[in-house]
Amino acid sequence: MGEVIVVTSGKGGVGKTTTTANVGTGLAMLGKKVVLIDTDIGLRNLDVVMGLENRIVYNLVDVIEGNCRIRNALIKDKRYPNLYLLPSAQTRDKNSVSPEQMKKLADELREEFDYILMDCPAGIEQGFKNAIAGADRALVVTTPEVSAVRDADRIIGLLEANDVSQIHLVVNRIRMDMVKRGDMMSSEDVCEILAIDLIGVVPDDENIVIATNQGEPLVGSDSLAGRAYMNICSRIEGEDVPFLDLNEKNGIFSKLFGKRKK
Amino acid sequence: MSTNNSVMIKGNKYGIIVVLSPDEDFEVLKTQIKEKFKESSKFFENAQMAISFEGRKLTSDQEREILDIIGQNTDMRIVCVIDNDPEREELFRKTLEQRLMELSNNSGQFYKGILRSGASLEFETSVIIIGDVNHGARVVSKGNIIVLGSLKGNAFAGACGNTNSFVVALDMSPTQIRIADVIARAPDKPVKEEVKEAKIAFLEEGNIYIEPLNKSVLNDITL
Repeated sequence: MGEVIVVTSGKGGVGKTTTTANVGTGLAMLGKKVVLIDTDIGLRNLDVVMGLENRIVYNLVDVIEGNCRIRNALIKDKRYPNLYLLPSAQTRDKNSVSPEQMKKLADELREEFDYILMDCPAGIEQGFKNAIAGADRALVVTTPEVSAVRDADRIIGLLEANDVSQIHLVVNRIRMDMVKRGDMMSSEDVCEILAIDLIGVVPDDENIVIATNQGEPLVGSDSLAGRAYMNICSRIEGEDVPFLDLNEKNGIFSKLFGKRKK
Repeated sequence: MSTNNSVMIKGNKYGIIVVLSPDEDFEVLKTQIKEKFKESSKFFENAQMAISFEGRKLTSDQEREILDIIGQNTDMRIVCVIDNDPEREELFRKTLEQRLMELSNNSGQFYKGILRSGASLEFETSVIIIGDVNHGARVVSKGNIIVLGSLKGNAFAGACGNTNSFVVALDMSPTQIRIADVIARAPDKPVKEEVKEAKIAFLEEGNIYIEPLNKSVLNDITL
């Protein structure tokens, strides 16, 4: 039986889709059979981040409405044969789907896949309710900003109220130089406010922007962010992996090197 | 005073008010009530009405007698008697509120868990929260609020107007604190605290003060 994981945040733009793409790809690299579902109906972009936009024929709403079978709508990833994407519809809205229908869909996919990752839309309305309907687990993504942490707090409350028992925190886009200067919350600060278990800290890395634009998840690459995502995947699998030392990039060589580059 | 004025009947759509002279003998009043209602029995027919008495205090026996007279002399049905004795009402209200206030102050309940943004809890009694009250969450109590954790959201103690209520938190950094009808808010520029210690917020002369929990403050607390 597969596990349904919802990736959510409340606030927009903190990296839900990027996290879904990278964690999903990482789990596939670990040999798991994974399907990513974009539940952001009307504002889809997981397909773009995965570089699979040109392969879309059917979508989530088609499956729910019975216009096609699930296997027709699933897009096989171009890199990993055990990774699939169920894209969302662009021409419809969140009300085209109900939480009950999503739960049924998730339960059907459970039979065949090890992990079902739901990319949740921002907000706490219909789209959010749809995305969390069948979830066993949640990854709450936040950046170390006050507004994002507030929203994450609200989201955790709603997840708890909806009986999602396992809730883990991903602190995204942290900048160690700013944390050191005291201008940014550290992952420990965020963790203390939200009082849930940390499953990953991802540094702010320009490689992510490059990878996203190219439609190539950077998980597994040698970049700091790529390694951070891979560690999250291992932790989802139940391994006890130590957290990365995010300071290493600030070594004297890279500083000199970085300055000369400019 | 003319005899006709010692009993008056006022009415509206739903009921009648019988105004009785306070100085007239009750027996005299009874006969007058009988006459008045006989005269107007055609007018009332078999209406269903509420009744209330004004002008003098009636014992329950007297009330009963008057109702019997009305019943015997008209076809109308008195559905209920409305008590509008303002003194008695005031007394009732005061005793009830006082009792409730005592109850809400002296009894309490526990709540375990984190109150996250958007959560709102209301308690009839004092409350002890084992956990944090995060930004955007709200606790309302008619008594005192004690947070064994950090208080970052809103706390409203003494919600029924009890000015002796207080708020205690291990880490006191609330967005807003209200006690009775006084509101205090956090300073616009956050102050960096060196040591986190348990603090108490209480009301004194219309201002909310926040002070470390020490012996002298504790001595001033009244429950």
